[in-house]
Order: sequence, then structure tokens, then C-alpha cells
Amino acid sequence: MVEVGDRIIGYSTDTGVRNKGASGGLVTAVLAAALEKGLVEEVVVLKHISEYEAVPIITSDVNEVLASAGSMHTVPVNLAKYAVGKNVAMPGKACDIRGVIEQAKRNEVDIDNAYLIGLNCGGTMYPVQTQEMLINMYEIDPEDVTGENIEKGNLIFRTRSGEEKGISIDELEEAGYGRRESCRYCDVKIPVNADLACGNWGVIGELSGNATFCEVMNEKGVRLLENAIEAGFIEIQPASDKAIAIREKVNNVMLSMSEKWSEKIFTEIPDGERTRYYMEQFADCIDCGACKEVCPACTCGEDSKCTMYHNLEDNYRMSMFHMVRLMHLSDSCIGCGQCTDVCPADIPVTTIFRRFAEKSQKKYNYKAGMTLERPPFLEVMPR
Amino acid sequence: MTENKQWEPKIVAFCCNWCSYGGADTAGMGRFQQPASLRIIRVMCSGRIDPLHVFNAFLEGADAVLVTGCHLGDCHYVNGNYKTQVRYDFMEDMVLELGLEPERLHLSWISASEGEKFANFVREVTEQVRKLGPSPLKPEGVN
Repeated sequence: MVEVGDRIIGYSTDTGVRNKGASGGLVTAVLAAALEKGLVEEVVVLKHISEYEAVPIITSDVNEVLASAGSMHTVPVNLAKYAVGKNVAMPGKACDIRGVIEQAKRNEVDIDNAYLIGLNCGGTMYPVQTQEMLINMYEIDPEDVTGENIEKGNLIFRTRSGEEKGISIDELEEAGYGRRESCRYCDVKIPVNADLACGNWGVIGELSGNATFCEVMNEKGVRLLENAIEAGFIEIQPASDKAIAIREKVNNVMLSMSEKWSEKIFTEIPDGERTRYYMEQFADCIDCGACKEVCPACTCGEDSKCTMYHNLEDNYRMSMFHMVRLMHLSDSCIGCGQCTDVCPADIPVTTIFRRFAEKSQKKYNYKAGMTLERPPFLEVMPR
Repeated sequence: MTENKQWEPKIVAFCCNWCSYGGADTAGMGRFQQPASLRIIRVMCSGRIDPLHVFNAFLEGADAVLVTGCHLGDCHYVNGNYKTQVRYDFMEDMVLELGLEPERLHLSWISASEGEKFANFVREVTEQVRKLGPSPLKPEGVN
């Protein structure tokens, strides 16, 4: 029926879910079906709080899955650690999925028991900054917003009165708003590392906004879809060549945008100034360890090598904690941006770590979190 | 330290018990001249050297760090030095990205009979580092 490599367009059969879900409610329906039919014990979803806030929850209640928030651009959490030690199905951006795979490499997640539904992601935004942006750039009351979408490089907000207002992302980012820094240079927009790669890119014609494009990446994806079809939760149809081409085109546009940003952000710091730059940046560190706590690639727990050595009393020029983490993440950083988000001292941690990681990962032709390939640092023999 | 006395670099060498530590010994027994800038830390196998040890040495005030071990294929523990090689490649990249000069980190395979090679290696590195000056990661108050 469904095969690996299939590209389909699908939607939920339940009209309530279909209208409420972001694009036809396919993902919600697949998750609900997986739970209902016992494919998984639990599901990770976002629980809606407001238009700008949601909290991840692990639930085994189908109704809670159906009532979930759907995709939220202003909730930049990483769900990877929610899959640890559980039999779950979870939706996720490319970086969530990359996190789960990094956890699986370190034996924290049983990848055969974790069903991963990837969502196309052009970037996420900070909730507070977004509300500020709505007031300053869009001149809309944040309370009036009922939905948002990214289309053709424009960030579009829908208000309660049905109006839509879009401003180009480039313009927003120039003004200092828009996507988080790590999202701007992220180079995985379609989560091909997940079991199903879903999203609204490539949905055209009358189905536009009312269905989801979905690519089946592996056997687990087949199981997820077939399970949902058998349960009568979703309906699917093969995607047209035009739809596939459009999805590819959107992806390429997003990727070329990322490339431009990464060129801009990762300008080489001259040889003589690098050491001072890193020392100055890390001088603000208060050794709270939050960046390690949220890191989806980290599995050490409390007794880890990096935290053993962080000590404000040493008179080192640079924290040993960061030295250990820089080394550890130079092959494992997935660039999700969580560390920058939580840093109380506003150190651009992710960007600093990516400077080391991009070089190393490029050298070994290895991209963390994309496949279950062993990290090059753990190899026994040099390549 | 008096003003007019020449600055001496501090070099930390990690030597494996079976080869390069023996090499250092042979260098001494053979009376090969070598500078007094070297501090040797003996480990059972170069595969035991964690990048953490190397970077901690830098932060404690080392001007250069040498990683030494048995020749590839001669490891007492079969493949320990291959693991060293893998890690060393990463350490090298990180030292470069940190903005330290590449001359501050060296890898060399030295057998127990290569005393002269050991002495020459140390002399060479000391010369290079003396030209570079103190490491930027050296803490305040450490020479």
C-alpha cells in the first residue's frame, strides 16, 4: 500500500481535526492513530497556552493529542530529550529529530520504539520578540493574532478580523526581529532523517492550506501511515510531479537563504584575534551549566566530564567546562540553538560552537543527527 | 625571575610508558643535550590521553603540549595509538580554531630506542615556541 520513498498528500478524515490542524491535521491524526491502535504507548505534543506559548507534554490520552497546539513557530523548544527511555511517537522540527538520533547513538533512545514525524521548518522565533515585532513592525495587537505562516519568504500573520499582513523575512531580520540566529543558518529544512517528512510545502491547488505533503522515509514511516489509514484516521493520495517540484523549489530557496546567512555570520575572525574573541565571550560565563542541561546531544547526566571541571575559583583564561564541551560538540553539535536560548549571560553559545563544529563536520563529511553513523571522534581507526 | 633572564617556554609532554617514556630515558642515558623546558607526564598508553588533559595543560600555563606514543602498529595495547591519532586530529582542529598557533601542539611517534629523536624533537619544539612567546591562554602570574 504505502512504500518507502512514497510522496503523498494527506489529510485527516475528521473534519474537526482537519479544520483546526495547521494543514489538514495529517500529523495530529497519525499521532492519534498510533496511540489509539497501540503502536506507541505515549505521544509528545505541544499543549496550547496562548498564541505564543505552549509546553511539551507526554500523554497517552488521545483527546489531548487531538487538542494539541499543532505547529508553533514561536515555541523554540527541543523535544529530543522527551523521547528518552520511552516508546513514543513525536512530531518535530529537523533539529528535534537530529537530537533524538544523537540520543539514540548514545543508547538513550531505542530508535525502533521511537516514531519520528518530521515537520518542515523554515525557522522558529522567540515569543517575546515576536510580540514586540508585531507591535513595532506589523502594527497589530499581539492579542488579535490567530495564526501565522511563512510563505514565499514572507512572514504572514492572520488577525481575528480575517486580515492578513505579510512582511518579508529579510526585512524583519534586518530590523533585528524574525527568526532565531541558529535557524537563520540552519541547513536542514526538510527533516529527511525522520520516519515521515511532513509539511505544507508542495501542497497546491484546492488542497492548499488544507492538506499535508508527506514523504515516507523508512519502514517505521510506512507503519505509521498504514496504521493511520487502517484506523480510518487519514486519507491519502499520491503527490503530483508539480507538487514535488514545488516542495523542492521552496527547500532550495530556504537553503540558499541559510547559506547567505552562514556566510554573513561565520565570517572568519583573523588568526591573531580569535583567542581573544573566545576569551572575551566566555568571560561572561557564570558556570550555571544550563547550556549543557538543555543540549540534545548530551547524554552524560549529572556526573559529566564537563561539569566536573567547572569551577569559578580557578584562574583559567577560559572555562575548562567550555573546553570540554567544545571538543565534545565539535563532532556532535546539531546547531539547534538551545544553548543560546537559555544562556543567562547572553553569550552567543550556539554560534561559537558552530564555528568549531562546521569545520570538523565538514572535514569528516559527517553531519550530526542525520543518520545513525558513529561520530568520527569515537572511531578507533583514523579515516 | 629577573628582567634580563631569557624567558623559557614551559612544555608539557605526555609520554606513553612503553615507548616514548623509554625514549626520554634513552635520551638521558645517551647524554643528548636537551632544554630544561620539558615536563613529562607518563601515561600507560597514549590512548589514555584525553583532549581534556591537553587543554587543561594549556590553561594551567603550558606554552606547548607534546603528545607522544609508540609507532603505529607497535602499541603495547594493540591499537591505543590509533585512537590517539583520531583524537589528535580533533585537538589540532580545535587548537587552530581557538586561535593558538599550530606549533603549540605536536604529535610524534617515538620508540624506546629513539633517544636522539626525542632530544631533537624537544629541542626543535622549544626553539619554535621560544620564537612564538608565551601562550595567550597562560593564566596571570604564571611564567
